[in-house]
Amino acid sequence: MNENNIKIQRNLWENPWGYVESFFIGTGLIITGLFLEVFSTSGSAFTLSYPFNLIFLIGYVLVLFVLYKWFSTTQLIRWLTKVPASISSIVLVTVLVMIMGIIPQVSSENKIINNLGLNHITSNWAFLLILFQFLTCLGLISIKRILQFKWSNFGFILNHTGLFLALIAGILGTGDLQRLSLDVYEGKPSWIATDMNNQKVELPFAFYLKDFLIDEYNPKLALVDNKTGSIAHNDGKNLYLVEKGETYYFNNFEVKIDDFLPNAIRFGMRYEAVNEIGSPPAAKISVKNIENDAIQTAWISSGSFRYPYESLKISEDYSVVMTIPEVKKFSSDIDILTKEGERISTVLEVNKPFKYKGWKIYQLSYDDKMGKWSNLSVLELVKDPWLPLIYIGIFMMIAGAVYMFWMGNKITKNQ
Amino acid sequence: MTWIDFPLYSSIIIILWFIGLVFLAISYKKHSIFKIANVLFVAGWVVMILFVVKLWLELDRPPMRTLGETRLWYATFLPLIGFVTYIRWKYKWFLAYSIAMASMFLVINYLNPETYSKTLMPALQSPWFIPHVLVYLFSYAVLAASSIVAIKGWYDSYQGNFKIETLKLADNLVYIGFAFLTLGLLFGALWAKEAWGHYWTWDPKEVWAFLTWMGYLIYIHYRHFHMHNSKQALTILALAFVVLLVCWFGVNYLPVATTSVHTYTQY
Repeated sequence: MNENNIKIQRNLWENPWGYVESFFIGTGLIITGLFLEVFSTSGSAFTLSYPFNLIFLIGYVLVLFVLYKWFSTTQLIRWLTKVPASISSIVLVTVLVMIMGIIPQVSSENKIINNLGLNHITSNWAFLLILFQFLTCLGLISIKRILQFKWSNFGFILNHTGLFLALIAGILGTGDLQRLSLDVYEGKPSWIATDMNNQKVELPFAFYLKDFLIDEYNPKLALVDNKTGSIAHNDGKNLYLVEKGETYYFNNFEVKIDDFLPNAIRFGMRYEAVNEIGSPPAAKISVKNIENDAIQTAWISSGSFRYPYESLKISEDYSVVMTIPEVKKFSSDIDILTKEGERISTVLEVNKPFKYKGWKIYQLSYDDKMGKWSNLSVLELVKDPWLPLIYIGIFMMIAGAVYMFWMGNKITKNQ
Repeated sequence: MTWIDFPLYSSIIIILWFIGLVFLAISYKKHSIFKIANVLFVAGWVVMILFVVKLWLELDRPPMRTLGETRLWYATFLPLIGFVTYIRWKYKWFLAYSIAMASMFLVINYLNPETYSKTLMPALQSPWFIPHVLVYLFSYAVLAASSIVAIKGWYDSYQGNFKIETLKLADNLVYIGFAFLTLGLLFGALWAKEAWGHYWTWDPKEVWAFLTWMGYLIYIHYRHFHMHNSKQALTILALAFVVLLVCWFGVNYLPVATTSVHTYTQY
């Protein structure tokens, strides 16, 4: 551990392998992977699905165990359980992920990016190979510390084994992950979903949308430049929510909101509250020019897919407009209908998915052109049988982090 | 409309802290004055807390949505870290740094008036929102503190009087910061599963958060096995902080930003 005291000249590939050899091997893996990217013809990503991924996992852990138990004196295994191998693989994984963080992971025109597969790093052979080395190091040292269990290693085991489980389950689980989206219309049962490759999938149960609901915030007021059409107040920030009785200041204009109607349509000179599809919010505002005390009063509206918007021109340069209201909450009141004639009622909302027969059902979106009058609700169904293993890993790491906080706290000047 | 009161509050805080820093500088000569500096720092911090509480109440949503609001939390956590570290390590320069850094963030916010919109998109309306953001910002503040220790270490070794204690302080901060960084990352994963259906989607912000995590992971492993290569350790620590800054501010400007769910809102 303390190699500064003993500095002995040693040759490359001499026992034990150090940082130079480790980076040499790691870089070799990456170059091999990039060659595979350039010359392999199959365009699809490498994934395993049940039962092969489960067999792979069990086989992999067994092999790691056997390697540690009976072959730990060999050069390769000794190297894999030592620090240079770990640090070099952490660094090289970091380098490849950094490429992913800089080059957009979408189809590209650039030849080099395309040939080397730098726009799909997560399924790039170079990444998979170096990740494999990373996981092998992680797996071997987890096994090592578990077999030589000591309470002082408890945090170590939680962190390393947790990460190993979360990563391997996440990688192998992609083959079994199902994500379907389903359009449901008010008053009609639906059971034909679409998968990630745009294939139709028939569900063993149907969804019946009783009601789709949107809660909106009030619209906002903005000062707009008449020539450019862009927001001319506070760099486009700090728009004010329209609320009856409020007074706001834009440059040298005082804007008072005399009245606000969330759903209204124009009748002659004024807006009246109605309860009709596509009726937009409207407000009556009085604008006072502070310089000359001139007052203008008018109704403005943000408009909707059915009615035009109305703004108020307050000077040569500026107009006051009302923005389209932002969505506060949207939810679907649904029934799940089974073939056995069962009927399960629930309300789906963003951040509040519903669990049913191994599926998690999410509120995904709606027809945003229709806004709150949408009678379409888009649901997402996700099945991830590997989730429990990933959660075990995540919770081990959370416990490990708490342990680490406690240990970090104990480091002091005189320790 | 509390955000508009910000100039008033921030001026009071900065004046208190500035006078405190002057007293702290004098206290190197005359130690008894240090108490006055501390009283001023704490007074400024209390005003800061009052402002955050008032802002939260008036906005009617957690003030954690915009970049400016995250800077505000950063400026709130830094003095706390400074106080606690001072109590344990007795480094005045560290306390001075955290107060100066917090003031700097207040000034940045003062120069960039931010939104005080009350709206919050549905995906952010989750019990995970507050722990995810607070844990992250606390960790960022602690890790920023550790990077200042790295700079101090560099400066000291340039002057030829580097002490290994300095690296121990860095370790102390990195362990705490890294623990919170891990929690922030994992809380984010658990939340994403509830909100978007998957715990990890390689969103650009997630990629850079992962890189930040890996950066400090390299530091911790390197330190653990090479106790005496202090220069290299300090370099790794400084580089890891650069990655953290890219994650916090830089992602918005990278070519990958267009596909992120994490970009801070402007309106």
